[in-house]
Amino acid sequence: MTKLQKRLAAVVVVALLGVAFAWFFVLPRMRPHIFSGAVIQSNQKAPRMELDAAFGETVRMTDFEGQVVVVYFGYTFCPDVCPATLSKLADSMDILGDKARDVQVIMVSIDPARDTPELLEEYVTYFHPEFVGVTGDAQTVNRVATLYGVYYEAQDGTAGTGYTIDHTSTVILVDRSGHLKLVLPFEGTAEQIAADIDYFL
Amino acid sequence: MAIILAAVAFAVFEPIQVLPRIRLAPGYLLTDQNAATLTSEDVRGDIVLYNFGYTNCGEACNSMNSTMGAIRGRLDEVDTGDTAVRFVTISFDPGTDNPEVLDDYASQVGADSESWTFATAEPDHLANVVKAGFRAYYEDRGDGSFSFDPVFVLVDGWGVIRGEYRYQTSADDTDKILRHIDILGEEIRNAHGAASLAYEAAHFFLCYP
Repeated sequence: MTKLQKRLAAVVVVALLGVAFAWFFVLPRMRPHIFSGAVIQSNQKAPRMELDAAFGETVRMTDFEGQVVVVYFGYTFCPDVCPATLSKLADSMDILGDKARDVQVIMVSIDPARDTPELLEEYVTYFHPEFVGVTGDAQTVNRVATLYGVYYEAQDGTAGTGYTIDHTSTVILVDRSGHLKLVLPFEGTAEQIAADIDYFL
Repeated sequence: MAIILAAVAFAVFEPIQVLPRIRLAPGYLLTDQNAATLTSEDVRGDIVLYNFGYTNCGEACNSMNSTMGAIRGRLDEVDTGDTAVRFVTISFDPGTDNPEVLDDYASQVGADSESWTFATAEPDHLANVVKAGFRAYYEDRGDGSFSFDPVFVLVDGWGVIRGEYRYQTSADDTDKILRHIDILGEEIRNAHGAASLAYEAAHFFLCYP
C-alpha cells in the first residue's frame, strides 16, 4: 500500500467513524421528542384545586409550583384501571430515577363517599411512597374533575364489591410553572409516560 | 439558526395551518333528548361542535341552531377522514327542558339524535360544565328566561378545545367554523409518522388561521 493509499484509507476510516458518531450519538439528541399524549400549548394555568389530604392537610395545585405534577382521577375501590395506571406511574418514577424528586403524582378520588383522605393515603402509598391522594366534598370533586376534563358516573356493582364508578382514565401533566401541558391516554406505557414527564423536567 | 430559518419559512410560506390547542374541554355527564346519558367519553375521538341555549329562548337560539344546522348540512364540503363530526346543544334550563321537551325541540329544528344531540344536566353540574368548563355565560332571570352569550365551541377527539366563537363577526360563523373543521380534519389525517412533526412545528410556530 502506497503512502497516498494509506492516507486515503485513514481519511475514509475517520469519515466513517464521524458518520457513525453522528448517527448514534448526535442525531438521536436532535430528534424532536414525540409525545405519547396530546400537548396543550396554551399558557393558561391548570384549573385550581383545593382538596383534602390525610392528617387534615389541604392540597392546592400551587403547592407544587417548581415541580411537574401528574394528576389522575380514580378511586380506591376501582377494580382494574386505577391500580394499572398507578402501577404504571410508579414504574415511570423508577425509570426517572433521581429526577422523580421533581415530580409529584396526585390521585384525586372521585368517590368521596367511601374514600377518606386516610384511606387514600394508604392506597396511593402502596404504589409509591411519594404519591399523594386527595378528595373533598362531592360538589368540589365534581367541579375539579369537570375542569380537568374528567367525567364519572356511579354504576351498580355486586353485593360484594358495592358500586363501581365509570370514569375518564386519562393522566394529566402540569408543568413546573403550573400550566396544564399534556393529556396522556390510559394506553401509554410507563416508558412513554416517563419520557413525556422527562421532557418537562 | 436553523430554528430561526424554520420560523421564518413557516411565517412566510404558511405551509400548514393548525387550530390552537386552547385548553381542556370539561368532562360531563348529561341526559339527552332520548333520556339516555351522554358523556364526554361517548364523544372522545370525534370532532364536536357545542352550543348552549334553552328551548324557550326564541330568536337568539333559533339563529344559533340554524348555524348548527347549516354546518351539519354542509359537512360534505370538509374532509375529516374517518373522524365523525358531532353536534351537541346543551340546555342550561333543566327545570323546563326535560328529555320530552328536548326531543320535541330537536324535531322542530330538524336534528337527528345520531349526529346532533340536545342534552342537559342538574344545575350544579351544568354550572361546572357550561360556565366554568366551556366558559359560556348564562344567568337565570327568574322569569323563565335567561341572559346568555351566544357561543360555539369546537372540541377535538382528545377533548381539547380548538375553537371558540363568541361574537358574531363580519365573517359568517358557518363558513368560518366549517373552514376550521376542515383544518382540524387535515391535522387528524396527518397525525401519524413524519407528517405529524410538520404539524407539531406549525403549532410551535403558531401557524393559526
